[in-house]
Amino acid sequence: MDMLTLSHVKKRFWEKEVLQDVSFSVPENTVFGFVGQNGAGKTTAMKLILGLLSCDEGRITVNGSAVRYGNTHTNRFIGYLPDVPEFYSYMTPAEYLAFCGEITGMPKPETKKRAAELLALVGLEQERRRIKGFSRGMKQRLGVAQALMNRPRLLICDEPTSALDPAGRKELLDILVAVKKETTVLFSTHILSDVEHICDELAFLHEGRIALKGTLEEVRKIRRTAAVELEMEHARDAGLLLRECPFLQRLGHNLLLLREPEHLPEVLGRIAEKRLSVLRVERMEPALEDLFMEVIGK
Amino acid sequence: MRAFLKKEWMELVRTGRLLLLLLIFILFGIMNPAIAKLTPWMMEIMVEQLAESGLALTAVTVDAMTSWTQFYKNIPMALGVFVLLHSGIFTTEYQKGTLIPVVTKGLSRPRIAAAKTILLLGTWTVLFFLCYGITYGYNAVFWDNGIARFPLLGAVCCWLFGVWVLAWMLLFSIAADTSTQVLLGTGGVVLGIYVLSLFPKLGNVLPVKLLDGMSLLSGNAFPKDYYASMGIACAMAAVCLLLAVSCFNRKNL
Repeated sequence: MDMLTLSHVKKRFWEKEVLQDVSFSVPENTVFGFVGQNGAGKTTAMKLILGLLSCDEGRITVNGSAVRYGNTHTNRFIGYLPDVPEFYSYMTPAEYLAFCGEITGMPKPETKKRAAELLALVGLEQERRRIKGFSRGMKQRLGVAQALMNRPRLLICDEPTSALDPAGRKELLDILVAVKKETTVLFSTHILSDVEHICDELAFLHEGRIALKGTLEEVRKIRRTAAVELEMEHARDAGLLLRECPFLQRLGHNLLLLREPEHLPEVLGRIAEKRLSVLRVERMEPALEDLFMEVIGK
Repeated sequence: MRAFLKKEWMELVRTGRLLLLLLIFILFGIMNPAIAKLTPWMMEIMVEQLAESGLALTAVTVDAMTSWTQFYKNIPMALGVFVLLHSGIFTTEYQKGTLIPVVTKGLSRPRIAAAKTILLLGTWTVLFFLCYGITYGYNAVFWDNGIARFPLLGAVCCWLFGVWVLAWMLLFSIAADTSTQVLLGTGGVVLGIYVLSLFPKLGNVLPVKLLDGMSLLSGNAFPKDYYASMGIACAMAAVCLLLAVSCFNRKNL
């Protein structure tokens, strides 16, 4: 079942058409990467899903229910983590989560239990200080905790890692992977390595349209190259093989590239014949970054 | 809504705003009779200087009315400080984005607006009547409040003027994006109404008349003279609050 569906969604701000006929679905219990450049319309799409903005055209459903602008009831299925989460700085993390629990209508004992669980999940269980003194990473982790407070069916994260250092990024990605078991995650980003690390499916948003979508494997297949990379143990062996097979291309001291895979048996034959030492023979996967650059036309 | 009210109260206390306002309103409450009490002493000190410049001072009589005069002079200043400290009631939340998680968790916008309005008007009411009570108490100790006619009605008029100003402030805070815009908007409306009230016919019905409590206390005016301006202030405040809620429902957070 699809947890989230956008069908032919359009949104215009004055003369600028930010979203032009956007359609995609997010299957349940997946981590879905929503990729695009800054200003591509990712945050607008997320605000439409949250009912914070109204669609000009199209329909959005969350868990089968249509999203309405304003006080949409579909928000009870959703947890939202903004790109820069801001909190009431005079509260402690436990007080903030208790506040979140209370406004979602959770009973007090459950609120207390859930807050303790989540603070442990994000590593803030020992924090008794007020949020005022928190670092960006700590705020981001608390942001995840508040977003998960009501056990959402869909967690929407708007570029959650863009402002974090590598350690903070890893911590946050680990948390998102951990919550995947019980929650569908829609994760917007322009950091493609994050998508490769945690996402099951992705959609590329470019100039207000979905330029590419599918599972990581499907997306890669679109641009799968037939090239094969050979890593030799010694640079001398690489030189020798290059002389035997002039159609190879040298990429480094001991790294060779075979662009036409039909020559692979011949290359392997030469390696065996000359008793050359090979470390690795690998079919090249196109990097998401290459795909992304191709999609945006650069 | 209870949770949001609790949050608003926590904010008022923990940011030190409540303490600051308490100090200001208590200080104003004490200052009114204190200035009246000290007036003869100050005059005595100044009598020689004034004599040198050709002014002769006769005996100065001080009573509860002197203190009430100070009260009606000081309360607009206290209201100004109150507005200044609350001008970011919505705009600060817009700028920081702190309302987004609250709204996306299902708390309706009218409830958020209601909670903020209740706490704002509640705080104003408590602080205003604290200031009034302190002045009244000291007046009773030092002089006789009996010479002032309708002191409570005069205070209610003044309090209602504050409610009217705060309703405008709420409307501007919801509609605007910065505290400066809120202060300019609210100040502009008060100034505009003040200018209009310079016309005698309008002056008797516009909310600015509510600040003239001294006429009521001294017997130069009667309660019925204030009913029209009270009614207009209530109606305008109600319209402002309704507009504020409607505007908040459409506000892009």
